[in-house]
Parts: sequence; structure tokens; C-alpha cells
Amino acid sequence: MKKSIQEINEKIRTGKAVVLTAEELSSMGKDHTPAEVVRKVDVVTTATFGPMCSSGMFINTGHANPPIRMEKATLNGVPVFTGIAAVDLYIGATENHPEDPAYGGAHIIEELIAGKDVELEAHAKGTDCYPLKDIKTSINRENINEMLMFNPRNAYQNYPVAVNTSNRIKYTYMGSLLPRLGNANYSTSGELSPLLNDPDMRTIGMGTRIFLGGTSGYISWHGTQFKSDAEVNEHGVPVSNAATLAVIGDASRMSPEFIKAAYYEKYGVSMFVGIGIPIPVLDEDMALRVMIRNEQISTRILDYGDPDHPELGRTNYRELMSGEIELHKKKIKTASLSSIFQARKIADILKKQVEEGSFLLTEPLEVFPRGKSLNSLDIR
Amino acid sequence: MAATKKRMVLSFPADSVNEPITYILIKEYDVMINILNADISHGREGKLLIEISGQKESVNGAMDYLKGKKVEISPVVKTILFNQSACIHCGACSSLCFPGALSIDQDSRELRFFPDKCVACELCIKACPLRLFELNFGVN
Repeated sequence: MKKSIQEINEKIRTGKAVVLTAEELSSMGKDHTPAEVVRKVDVVTTATFGPMCSSGMFINTGHANPPIRMEKATLNGVPVFTGIAAVDLYIGATENHPEDPAYGGAHIIEELIAGKDVELEAHAKGTDCYPLKDIKTSINRENINEMLMFNPRNAYQNYPVAVNTSNRIKYTYMGSLLPRLGNANYSTSGELSPLLNDPDMRTIGMGTRIFLGGTSGYISWHGTQFKSDAEVNEHGVPVSNAATLAVIGDASRMSPEFIKAAYYEKYGVSMFVGIGIPIPVLDEDMALRVMIRNEQISTRILDYGDPDHPELGRTNYRELMSGEIELHKKKIKTASLSSIFQARKIADILKKQVEEGSFLLTEPLEVFPRGKSLNSLDIR
Repeated sequence: MAATKKRMVLSFPADSVNEPITYILIKEYDVMINILNADISHGREGKLLIEISGQKESVNGAMDYLKGKKVEISPVVKTILFNQSACIHCGACSSLCFPGALSIDQDSRELRFFPDKCVACELCIKACPLRLFELNFGVN
């Protein structure tokens, strides 16, 4: 049996679409064949809520009178990028306050989304058309023109587990890693994760409408550091970090519940981004993909105690989510950096929206590149 | 005789006693001492967070000895404060929490905090990306 996205959208419009979250579908998959799944289910909602450093937000502050062409600017003391037009600014999520490493761009973004006032200070050399040289004022969601979230790399398709075999604690973007394999941290929502439910990206592509930070947004391109030639396991999912998404959305309609500033000790600021993607069950192949279960998704365990991050072993998300894995004959406590609790909440919201007919599916305008590998930076 | 366990903050005056207090507590009073946190600088008032356990009479004797040495004893009510309502349940703290005071519920995937198990090691304070833990070195 085959269904088109148009047919599924017609069902959504008339309130007849059957929608399940990826977790619900994974457990249904235990006693259903792909043929049965494609007959019974139209849409599967996937989600993730993890720290995603490659995130940020463009804002346009509106022009002052007299106008200024901002060349150096800060928001609550956090530097923002001004190398575009006069009052367009880009707030990079990981930019930090020069005196407070635990406060940065992500906090500014969260505060603006929450409707709070943020202090803007900017300086310029002054030009004939933009004579003002200095400005100090406050901005908020209501008094600026746009808040456009644009994240160059989100929603990693799988990610390795981080451990530390060295003799001292390592503070990393994978959290605090205790010495001598004291703990293991991972960061994926497993069977709920968008790109693990459509590993070949048949339905997720450029222009796909998604849930982003509490409102609807779009996939604008493949993400940076996109890799589609990664090793896959016997269930067809990459065993390491592979595909990524660049996403875009109207942050003035987002909610601070789904965009959260984070600080990782001695690493820096990052931002939790809530993303949900509905996947149409078009045929048996798609059904088989969305039936994937945590135990079928494997990932590598890397040693962050060694600068080369060598692989120490492999595990799967069922083991990781049990709270304990075994490595080198040692039981190691595991923790997720990405919140499964929040991801479930997003998958449930999206499920309701599709059921109610308020969230229609999109066909990718363009599919993502196949066989794309990564370059590394040679020091010449 | 009943066994007992107490968690307390000992505050030492600046002109601290010259006796090896923990040694005497163990040797003379036969109590078990678990030092959970220490904040001692020479010439200033020092604080020690300990868990003391043993037979009730031994523990009482140890307490009398400390009082005699002008050590201020304050029972600890909470050692780590957790702003639970702001938690996003990522669980970054849970893999570091060796006594198991912080753990992710297998079904709901929510973070659970069991203050009774907490030994105030402080690892969660730095591990939480939202900075929701605070050390309360204070008392009731």
C-alpha cells in the first residue's frame, strides 16, 4: 500500500488521519508488520529537545532618530554580530558575556522570547546617512521589528556517547565527565529523534514544516557539518553523528518553554532547542523506518579523556536509557543531555495539532545531498 | 541500644581547638564520621558538614564532647537546594549523582530528587546546565 502526502493531508483536513508519536509507533511495531502499520497509521510525530550550540537569532531593532549604523553592539553586555545592515543584528547562542561566562546569547534569546526588556548598547563611527555614534536603550519583543531564529545546525542524527578514562574530571559540551569512566553522557532522544525515524531523509528535506521552539518553523537547508555517507548499522541508521538540519522560524511566536539557555561548566553557553517533525507513513519502507526501537539504534562510545576521542565501544539507546551501560567490565551510570521528557511533550503537542488539522505536512522542495562527506581543517 | 545517624554542620571558632577532633570522636566515642563537605581556612571560622552515626549513647557522648570544645552544632535540614519547577528533565546531573539522590524515572523520564540520599557532594551544581542547584551550607 502506498499513500501520497496529498492523500494524508486530505485525511488531516477532514480529521481522519491516524497519528501516533514515534514512541507509540515503536511499541506498536513489536507486533505489527510494516504492511499493517502503513494501513493503520498515517503520521508519526518525532521530537528532540537538546542543547544545540549552532543556533541564534536575527533581530531588526528598527531605526532610531537620528539613525545609527551599529558597528559594535551588546545586548545586556553580550556582544552580538553587527556585520550586516545598519540595525540587523545576529545573536549567536554561544556568545558569552565578557565578565560572566555563564551568561550569553542563549539567555538573551530566551529573555526576548519571554517578552523581557534587554538593554541594547551600540557604537558606530557615524556616516553622512547614519550620523548617530552611540546609543543606549532597551528593546523587547514588542518594540523591535523581527525576531528570526535561524539555526545553522540542529537536530543531529545520532551522536556518540561521551566518557572519560583520564584521571581528572573533564568539563565538556557533553557535560561533566567523571574520571576513570565515572559516568557516560549521551544526547539523543533515540526512537523519538526526527532523523533517526527517516534516516534516508525521504520525507524530511528542504522546506519541511516543523515544530520549532513552540511554534511552526521550517527546515531551510541541510545543516552545516551535514554528513550523509556515515556508517549505518543493520537497521539502516547511522552509528554516529551524521545528518543535521538548518532551521528557521519566527521567534516572536516561540515559547521559553521550548527554547532554554544552558551553561556547561568550563565549556560555555548553549541553547536547548525544541524541534518536532511529523513523518508521513507513505509506504512499507517508511513504516519500517518509523518502527525503529531504541535497541536497534546503536551509537559509539568515545573517550573525551583523550584529545583524539578514540572509540572505546558501542552501545544502543535501550541500554543508555536504562541508566547504566557496561564498558571495560565496569558498570557506568548514564545520563542524557537531551530531555526525553520535553521531547515527548513536543511529540504529543504535534500529534494533537496534526489530529486537529492545524498542522499539515509538506513535501520536501528539494531532497538533501546524498553521499556527502566532511572536510577537516588542515593546518597549513 | 538503638543506632542513630545525624547530619550536621560543625562550626569551629577562629581560635579553633588544637585537638584532632575527628580522631577523638572515632577513637573515644566509637562513632562513624563521614565528612561530606569542609570549608576550613586557617585563622577564620571553619565549617564541616558531617554525617555521624553509631549507637545512640555514643553519638550523644560525641555531641557533648563537641559542645565542651565550643564547637557549634547545627543539624542540617537541607544541603542542596533544587529549583525543581524550572527543571527541564535532561538528566545531566543524574549520571554524576553516586548516592542516587538524583535519577531519571524510567517511565515518566522525569528527574526525581531524593534529598534523604543526598550527601551534598556538589557535583550536580556544576553539572546542571540551567544552574538549578544551590548549596545550602546552612541549617534550620
